[in-house]
Amino acid sequence: MELFLQRLFDAVSNGSTYALVAVALVLIFKATTLINFAQGEMGMLGAFFALQLWLWGVPMWIALVLAMILSAILAAGIERVLIRPFDPADHLPLVIITLGLFLVINAVAAIVWRFDPRSFPNLFGDGNAISIGGANLGWYTVGTIITVVGVLVLLQLLLTRTKIGLAFRAVSSNLESSELVGIRVGPTLQFGWALAAAVGTLAAAVFVANPVRQLEPSIMLRVLIFAAAAAALGGLDSLWGAVVGGLSIGLVQSVIVQYLNQWFSFPTTMSLAAAVVVLMVVLLVKPAGLFGTAAVERV
Amino acid sequence: MNARWTILAGSPQHRTYKLVTWTLFALFVFLVAFAYVDVGSISIGDNTYNISLIRLNKAVAFAVAILGLQVVVGYTGQLALGQSFFFGMGAYIAAWLVADKDWPVLLTLLIVIPACFLVGVILGLPALRIKGLYLALVTLGMAQVFPSLVKLESLQDYTNGSGGKIADIGLEPPGWIPFDGIAEFLQGIPLLGGYFGDGPIPEKQEERLWKFFLFMLVAGICFWLVANLIKSRPGRAMRAVRDNETGAAVSGIDLAQTKTLAFGVASALGGVGGVIYVAELGIASPDDFTQLVAINFIVGLVVGGVGTLSGAAVGGLIIAIVPDWASGTQSVAFIPERWLQGPTGSVVLGILLIILTFFLAGGVVAGARRLKARIVQIVPQPPSGGSRPPVSTAVADDAADSTDSSTVEVG
Repeated sequence: MELFLQRLFDAVSNGSTYALVAVALVLIFKATTLINFAQGEMGMLGAFFALQLWLWGVPMWIALVLAMILSAILAAGIERVLIRPFDPADHLPLVIITLGLFLVINAVAAIVWRFDPRSFPNLFGDGNAISIGGANLGWYTVGTIITVVGVLVLLQLLLTRTKIGLAFRAVSSNLESSELVGIRVGPTLQFGWALAAAVGTLAAAVFVANPVRQLEPSIMLRVLIFAAAAAALGGLDSLWGAVVGGLSIGLVQSVIVQYLNQWFSFPTTMSLAAAVVVLMVVLLVKPAGLFGTAAVERV
Repeated sequence: MNARWTILAGSPQHRTYKLVTWTLFALFVFLVAFAYVDVGSISIGDNTYNISLIRLNKAVAFAVAILGLQVVVGYTGQLALGQSFFFGMGAYIAAWLVADKDWPVLLTLLIVIPACFLVGVILGLPALRIKGLYLALVTLGMAQVFPSLVKLESLQDYTNGSGGKIADIGLEPPGWIPFDGIAEFLQGIPLLGGYFGDGPIPEKQEERLWKFFLFMLVAGICFWLVANLIKSRPGRAMRAVRDNETGAAVSGIDLAQTKTLAFGVASALGGVGGVIYVAELGIASPDDFTQLVAINFIVGLVVGGVGTLSGAAVGGLIIAIVPDWASGTQSVAFIPERWLQGPTGSVVLGILLIILTFFLAGGVVAGARRLKARIVQIVPQPPSGGSRPPVSTAVADDAADSTDSSTVEVG
């Protein structure tokens, strides 16, 4: 029972970060029906910004907010220069551009900050909030849950209560019609990218703030697949779906795979493979995911 | 735009043209092999750029893997990007057969090709429903899983885990090839002789040369087979699926069959590339088959030219050489030295990828063809097979221009 609880807590803590990255993926998908393969790397770069600012003496939370703003500006620039010139319906060039970004950002971070892992300041304080028997719920996990819920509530407010949020929803629901009613589509999509980058930076920072992890350029490689599986499971255009998906993928990784390991000696290194399988099964059985809107293909 | 020379497809001139260009190409490859068999390097300032057959051999392996991507991405339009999975699979099967079963390395192709084809077909089955970006996501995920797959404890006996599987390749050149004689002859050529080193070729380098020619032969067969596949009925079906899937289905093309075939062929080619890779290096280690390698293959595909066969060769060369040369660049004016250490090759490749997507969507090959079209143009036969006069009048020039995009190219 204790073991189960501990695994459940781990699942929630991992799942929350997957949920955050998935939210970033969903934001860009909603805006441009594009999966940003560079999302993980952009988040990693943002986390490095935050770390660097913190090392220069800026208080941690302010450094994090500054890094989020910085990466949002960067992403807005990327959208304007590299993404907007292409036809959103033609996937190959866009996939290639994001893969190019992936290579460049990953390598630049490795050149600037080197490959050696650095410990990231603990955002949420040490110690355990609750201990039930041997199972500990750390403040870190509590912090990540609060962050996810906070981000989602803020996003929901932003999308439903502000003018740009309304424009964003209009564009993601029907690009041409919203252009016809006078919404400036370009800047609205740019706003989506900036928002996604900010959330992605927060996600990466929260992910590496876990005392067991350290920040290094390849830290988000695996996370992207987990997050993509989460986003697909929840439905690629649903924000709350991304959270549900993230928590489910966390459960798969930290509970199901662990029990499979215990009972059938299923290797734990295969948790990534499990995520890929989940991704595949979702796309095969219900491509729209749990909460997404089904796509209609016209000829 | 008028070409300087216009050649009618299928005419005797065309045949001569093909023969001459291919002979020149073969001669060029032959000379390069002998010139750079010893580890040659060019120095510019403080930077050294190595040119040697080791890199060319790697380039051949990459080119075959990218050829596979051409079939599935370039010609069938399916974003199956996890080629490093099959590249690694071929490499590991070959390494295992050579090391533990004492197979000659080229014979392992007999197992690798069907195995990779089969796995490609099986993993391709879900792809019949998963499309576009989603397929890209799944296949990249698969590519990422591969290293942890070979490190599995239950496969330890076959793959030797993270240490890598060492295989004694032992491709000894047969005695009847007079390497020394050829080298002596080349060294005797006035003016150019100096490029071919001096004295007889050491045994180690003879082996390398032999490997290079063998690999080129294997790769050449692959390219030839794929060229024929693309021109055949299944190949036309693939291109139809790429251009308009629904339209292709309506025209009676079996989508499932066509796509599955494309996946199978692509995976098999990935496997062949892997065999060549392991035959060159003598070791298959998990770090050589990461997701980054899969992305490098895509760089090769795009930079070479999507949907062209020669693009695969160019792409293979680029991804084999650029990272190496980038790390050889240790000093550039105005750039602090610190910025030149680390994975600069990936930066260059990534920037190359983005720039080419913007300015030269067809890759290097498209650019080269545009240049070539100014010099030589190959015009298809008029459909009647009649006696159209040789192209020299203004009318015929117009006709040549209008068929520009559909000009059939060889190679």
